Amino acid sequence: MNDNILEIENLHVRFSTFDGLFSAVNNVSFNLGYNESIGIIGESGCGKSTLAFTIMRYLASNAQVEGAIRFKDKNLLENSEKEMESVRGNRIAMVFQNPYSSLNPSLTIGFQLDEVGMHHQKLNKAKARKATIEALEMMNLGDPKGIVRRYPHQVSGGIQQRICIAMALLCKPDLMILDEPTTALDVTTEAVILDSIAELRDRLSMSMIYISHDIGVINKVSENIVVMYSGEIVESGPKQQIFENPVHPYTRALINCMPRGGVVKEKTKLNTIPGYVKKRGTDEGGCPFADRCDKKNDTCISEYGIKKIEGTHFAACNRAYAEDIPDKLKVRLTPKKRKNDPDFDIEHNLLKLEDVHKVYGTRRKVYAVNGIDFAVKPHSILGIVGESGCGKSTTGHMVSGLFPPSKGRVIFEDTDISIAWNKRNKETLKNIQLIFQNPGRSLNPSHTVEKIIGRTMQKLANINDKNERRKKIIDILRKVDLGKEYLEKKPPQLSGGEQQRVAIARSLSISPNLIVCDEPTSALDVSVQASVLNLLNDLQVDTHVAYLFISHDLNVINYLSDYIMVMYAGKIVEYGKRDEVMENWHHPYTEALLSAVPEVDPTKQKEIIELEGMLPDPTKKVKGCPFAGRCHKQVGEICEKEYPPMVRLSEDHYYFCHIKP
Amino acid sequence: MKYFFYQLKKSPLAIIGIAIIVFWLIAAAVGPSMISYTYTQMDSMNQMVAPGEYGHLLGTDSLGRDILARIVYGSRSILTVALLTSMVSTLLGILLGFSAGYFGGKVDTAFLRTMDILMAIPPLVLSMVILGILGNSSIVSLTIIVSIAFIPATARVSRGVLLTEKSQEYVSAARIRGENHLYIMFVEILPNTTGPIIVEATARFAYSIMMVASLGFLGVGLQPPTPDWGMMVIENKPVIAQAPWTVLFPALAIASLVIAISIFSDFVSKVLIHER
Repeated sequence: MNDNILEIENLHVRFSTFDGLFSAVNNVSFNLGYNESIGIIGESGCGKSTLAFTIMRYLASNAQVEGAIRFKDKNLLENSEKEMESVRGNRIAMVFQNPYSSLNPSLTIGFQLDEVGMHHQKLNKAKARKATIEALEMMNLGDPKGIVRRYPHQVSGGIQQRICIAMALLCKPDLMILDEPTTALDVTTEAVILDSIAELRDRLSMSMIYISHDIGVINKVSENIVVMYSGEIVESGPKQQIFENPVHPYTRALINCMPRGGVVKEKTKLNTIPGYVKKRGTDEGGCPFADRCDKKNDTCISEYGIKKIEGTHFAACNRAYAEDIPDKLKVRLTPKKRKNDPDFDIEHNLLKLEDVHKVYGTRRKVYAVNGIDFAVKPHSILGIVGESGCGKSTTGHMVSGLFPPSKGRVIFEDTDISIAWNKRNKETLKNIQLIFQNPGRSLNPSHTVEKIIGRTMQKLANINDKNERRKKIIDILRKVDLGKEYLEKKPPQLSGGEQQRVAIARSLSISPNLIVCDEPTSALDVSVQASVLNLLNDLQVDTHVAYLFISHDLNVINYLSDYIMVMYAGKIVEYGKRDEVMENWHHPYTEALLSAVPEVDPTKQKEIIELEGMLPDPTKKVKGCPFAGRCHKQVGEICEKEYPPMVRLSEDHYYFCHIKP
Repeated sequence: MKYFFYQLKKSPLAIIGIAIIVFWLIAAAVGPSMISYTYTQMDSMNQMVAPGEYGHLLGTDSLGRDILARIVYGSRSILTVALLTSMVSTLLGILLGFSAGYFGGKVDTAFLRTMDILMAIPPLVLSMVILGILGNSSIVSLTIIVSIAFIPATARVSRGVLLTEKSQEYVSAARIRGENHLYIMFVEILPNTTGPIIVEATARFAYSIMMVASLGFLGVGLQPPTPDWGMMVIENKPVIAQAPWTVLFPALAIASLVIAISIFSDFVSKVLIHER
């Protein structure tokens, strides 16, 4: 008997497509011991999921696999389809990213879970149901007997994902593969799930492969980390080592480009990795990262291969801190300083919302925003943070005029603009711009970049001369670090980061006073996110535009904002200057949200406040505090009966809670 | 386009389909000048001649007319009508479907109910009744009537693709820079819906050939002496026992063209899905 449950040796996976043969996984070898947990990290397109699917032998028909995957000393690649069936779901279980699409919406949860036991362990119906209930209990789901009778859409996303994990646990597998299981979930839900995964590992000696793009998440569930880039392992080792002493430039850049714990725009500029992950043909050798690397030299192509650094720490390159090439990473770390602007802190409000409500639907009402008041100061960045369904995007869309508020007033520079786009005048449309979350969808795929930006200029800035427009477009493209050659390109030809740059250029091209940024970085990879955040910050410093920055990511909000507003269930829970909210928070929800953010540094792990329960039903009007019921500091009945008063701590820091400071 | 040929190489069926379509297009374009008979010329000595005899490659019908000539001349009218029909019904469908889907609300409801009523009557029956009332049908009247019968289908497809595109953020982006409705519909949305609309148009092309042939068969299609494939089948039905080729060849012509276009339409949709 061998020490390792899973041994992967020189694994290659190639896909033959219309554009030629592509290498998705290239020369990957690693071992996974019994009761060990490995986290695989990398950006999208790095072959993480392909690797997982290859282990499950679940690949498309155009894939060619080479190498060996030995599971308990048996090569899975030599198994017949029938033999594989007894392994898949039984000995090796997998949990996918999106729980909603991995559960069948027309079958009850109980039926779907029973099937697993009945199929793999040949249990009868009653025994299978018993096993199902046990598995659900193991995932800390209250009332498992009630859950089995429900359909997937009747439970929340977090519970769905816990059900998927319970399904994977049913046959007590030896190995569990989790492919970004919390990426589609809110941060407080994620915290609860990560906790139960960690607990499970202690209880059921089980090996685990955890795939994620977020080092913070991996830290909570794995001891060892494998960093993948473009289908290859570039570095692997214990998490402490990887974090403190990354030797591959990619690992170092990946860790440094995340805005994390306490990094703010005034002090640090985020690290970026130029370019993006490219598809690789099969004949390309050498370091896959070379074309984006700061520390590139002649040896990158010729002397490339995985080497031992120390102990179990392996890496393909040790030039992360190489000194023969000056450290551009460090040079770049000085942020642009905001010039002392006399207008900056004046009392005048650029945008003001007064008791704004939004109710969707006429017959079945959905209360999205339930009365919020706030103001945005000129040349400042207000970050709105909250989980999905808290009304933050709705607020942004009302400001930018996609639809009018149902009640209340939106005032911009002393004019009432509580009206939709079709009633707004040109001046208002020009002054308030919107950057959408998904640049692939917000840029018309059939139009060229020149047309996309040019049309906005023509419409709102009255620049009708084609040559003049083109000159200005080239100027603005240069500001967002794109060259002249992008003029004729269409959005599908661009990468996600480039697309978002074009969207930013479009908004800036007509020099607005306020830009509403609706999650502009959440569809992007972390390295690209960093460059977009840097760009947004630089442009704000240069042009003095104000941002209403909406995000679910507290790290991003903390990095970029001057003011932070926390929202929950259509209400403001806390508002204040960034440092006051981040360091001197008063609302229990702010506290829970802050505690749930995964910490990148493995030594600085913190206590998580677990929130149980669900968001209040948006189709009903909430009488008391919307957070009551989930709150860990609930005072008593008053929380459910009475809406909490505003507690003002200072001129610009207030919160809504029955707990006095 | 490169992908089109890449897929074409892997799909022999599509090659056959395209070859048949090209064959009929060439036949319609240059065929008549290569045949020594015209479609009305009656060889009174040689009625119901079997294929290949007396210089009639596909034989003659009960009146002694050359079947090959009639099929080749017939391909002209049927292809013209079918092509025009698929174009007209697609264009009108886009106009109607886009307006209904874009404005929504009452406009949309009115549109949907009207289309429901039109769809409740089979297109063939609808066209037959109108043509029957009008009496004699020409290429123009046939095109207009068949197009109207097809509008519910094309308009619904256009409305459907518009609805998926309408919710895209680039439409919102266009709205908040103050674009008017026509610009949003036809400059922003239309270019992104060409795929499904082209597929529907090619499918309509096949349907209109069926329809024109059926109307001819029912006697309300193009009137004699214009040769019509459907009409040839019914004209020669009485002699089907003595001279089966008189019915077989026009029927084969209809079938081959309809099947070939259907294969082509499927293939185009496969290629266009990849492009999206």
